[in-house]
Amino acid sequence: MRRGLISAVVAMLLLLTGQQITDAQGGPRYGGTLRAGMQTDPVGLDPHLSTATATRNMMENVFDTLVMVSSEGRYAPGLAESWTVSADGITWTFALRRNVKFHNGRPMTAADVVYSINRIRDPSTKSPRAPDFAEVDAISSPGPYTVVIKLKRPLSPLLAKLSLSLNVIVPKEIIERDGDLNANPVGTGPFRFVGYTPQQRLTLVRSGDYWEHDQNGRRLPYLDRIEFVFLPDAVARATALRGGSVDWIEYVPAAEVKSLQADRNIEVVGGLSANFRALYINNSRAPFNNVKVRQAMAYAINKKEIVDTALFGAGGIVATGAVIPPGNYFAVTRSPYNSVDVDRAKRLLAEAGHPNGFEADLYVTSTYDFLRTPAEIIQAQLGRVGIRLRITAADWSVYLPTMFQKQYSLSILGTSGQSDPDDFLYGNFHTSGGLNLVNYSDPAFDRLIDQGRAVVGDAQRKRIYEQAQQRLLETVPMVFLYHSTQYEAVRRNVRGFEHWPNTSYLGLRRTWMAP
Amino acid sequence: MGPYLTRRILLAIPTVLGVLIAVFLLIRLVPGDVVTQLVGLEASISPKRVEELRRLFGLNRSLPVQFGEYLSGVLRGEMGKSLRTGLPVGKELLRRFPVTIQLASMGLLAALLIGVPVGIMAAVRRGRAPDYVATGFVLLGLSVPSFWLAILLILFFALRLGWFPPGAYVSPAEDLTGNLARMILPAFSVGLVLAAAITRIVRSSLLEVLSRHYIRTARAKGLRESIVVIKHALRNALIPVVTVVGLQFGTLLGGTVIIEQIFSLPGIGRYALEGINLRDYPVIQGAVLAIAMSFVIVNLLVDLAYGFLDPRIRYE
Repeated sequence: MRRGLISAVVAMLLLLTGQQITDAQGGPRYGGTLRAGMQTDPVGLDPHLSTATATRNMMENVFDTLVMVSSEGRYAPGLAESWTVSADGITWTFALRRNVKFHNGRPMTAADVVYSINRIRDPSTKSPRAPDFAEVDAISSPGPYTVVIKLKRPLSPLLAKLSLSLNVIVPKEIIERDGDLNANPVGTGPFRFVGYTPQQRLTLVRSGDYWEHDQNGRRLPYLDRIEFVFLPDAVARATALRGGSVDWIEYVPAAEVKSLQADRNIEVVGGLSANFRALYINNSRAPFNNVKVRQAMAYAINKKEIVDTALFGAGGIVATGAVIPPGNYFAVTRSPYNSVDVDRAKRLLAEAGHPNGFEADLYVTSTYDFLRTPAEIIQAQLGRVGIRLRITAADWSVYLPTMFQKQYSLSILGTSGQSDPDDFLYGNFHTSGGLNLVNYSDPAFDRLIDQGRAVVGDAQRKRIYEQAQQRLLETVPMVFLYHSTQYEAVRRNVRGFEHWPNTSYLGLRRTWMAP
Repeated sequence: MGPYLTRRILLAIPTVLGVLIAVFLLIRLVPGDVVTQLVGLEASISPKRVEELRRLFGLNRSLPVQFGEYLSGVLRGEMGKSLRTGLPVGKELLRRFPVTIQLASMGLLAALLIGVPVGIMAAVRRGRAPDYVATGFVLLGLSVPSFWLAILLILFFALRLGWFPPGAYVSPAEDLTGNLARMILPAFSVGLVLAAAITRIVRSSLLEVLSRHYIRTARAKGLRESIVVIKHALRNALIPVVTVVGLQFGTLLGGTVIIEQIFSLPGIGRYALEGINLRDYPVIQGAVLAIAMSFVIVNLLVDLAYGFLDPRIRYE
């Protein structure tokens, strides 16, 4: 007891001195080169012409967006200092930040914003992001620092589209000279592009006159230079970090997380990631067109067991709510299916006319382990209530077209890369959603989602989207299983890097190197 | 010699054309295309959008039209542009080939430095301890998968001992010593298998030559054993070795995909692999064409080397 007390005191003292040491160091320091080990090359350097996460992640610190999104998914000023929206939700007015310069020295004005959004919208640009602005009627600049976006109908997720770091503000003159930004990505961001040699290195250096400051009024960013090097093999990437030839790596595989955490020179960051993985149910096929059958499946499935065994624990976070991951401002975090209830599942099946269960096909892809390995566990879990699954697996290139044609009964799938609740809810579940692969159609849900688009203001939207998620839990268009994790790992001297659940590396803007 | 060379080069044309057609068709038989690979799990792309992207990539046109366009490009020396990055394939190949050639050459050098002496030792000390050691080495070298060896080498030499820097490739123009330090482990990984193959062939071929009458004569006239082995026997034993080395070198020029991937080398194998993963047709076609052509050239060089080693061989 006494010894316990002493060690507690010692521990507290250590904590206190530890605190003092950091204080004495005086917080973030300027300078240093961050060598970042990346999994893949960017797919082109022009953000408007790419859908690749790699392009977004390496270029998002070269460019800026009009609106920014915080790590917990809320909107914050970017190149626009503030914005207002008309009462009917149609006209959005953005007041731009002054004294922002492109890396070629030219000041950024409202004309650049108008040009950039119109470039994405223009069919001849072939931008994969054009659908983001399909609801935009017109965009204009009544003054040098004012931008007005007129919509065809109210759409509050406009902010999500504007904050997506591929929808960035670009200078017209470079595109007019070069045709695109692939050779000279010039932006207004904290880092200036220096050079790129495919499969070797992409280098950024600190831009001297970036506009953003930290909470103490010091100019961002802290780093002098970022060197992205390409290390496609996951083991090689982890080894390079251990050996100290890089300071930061992305995509730490779930199997490596534990061993890296054990290394005292290394810190593993992250986990939470904006996506969902679910048991997709074809709602229009019998017997799944009966809501009781779907509810029975939700009660029978043990989500934790799936994460612990199929994903080694580290590969996923159990879906405790519906489609939006926990930690997101708009997420619902309670669900009736968080504890397994086999009796209730059996009762529901009996009520639905299947007292002895039934046979069904589970069609999965063999390309992604995290979508393949839960299959047998789900088979065993549903077997306990009499649902006998036959599993077939196919390569992604065969699987995806089959899913798009909705030629399946059950599958394991999900989508990634969302930032706004509307991204999670509209496409996947609205009757007219482009990715509604489960044939879900619920007028009450559709009304809520339409309403959510027409309302501005986080608190109000949160209320509506909570109701919509509740509706999903009642009607079970799919069984939400887990959210895939994503980890970065850094050497201990890399400080201040924050993981963003939407897998963005905006955290590099505030990263610094301790001596 | 002249007519022989001309004939060989003319014969290479149908070979290369055959490769072109086979690759063009085969990669299109594989399910999926650049669009399905692009889409992945991206949230905002609907089936309708996928069709539109396919049209933008020109993948909805008929195969003969696509092939005709590609062939006329190749004849004009244009290999097309990557569907994903828009970078010209020809230029990318020229940038990556030197890396692969360096890896293959250093691997070959390592293999020769190990394989030839060990092979000679095994043949000369036949049936005794050195022979058993060498045979053991051959068995091990041929059985160990190079990717596994590569990972072990990284973990031990790069991480544990810290002799070589793990991680990204540096070009020799930037930093020659840094480049060499980073190439040693990959070269050794590809070289070890080859060294085992060379040891085996040197041993058996040398044994055969050593049992010839002229060797007995050489020994009978009182020459030192080292002169007998090196000067009289080895040269004649080298023809099968050159064949094996030549074929292996050809394979190295196209087949070091896994090693390039593990050591993050921007070579031609990794380029091809990336192309295959993304179903980036122009990249795959260009890379395979380059690999096929280098194989043809290496084969020709091997055939010419026979004449150099054995003056009795004539080309006509």
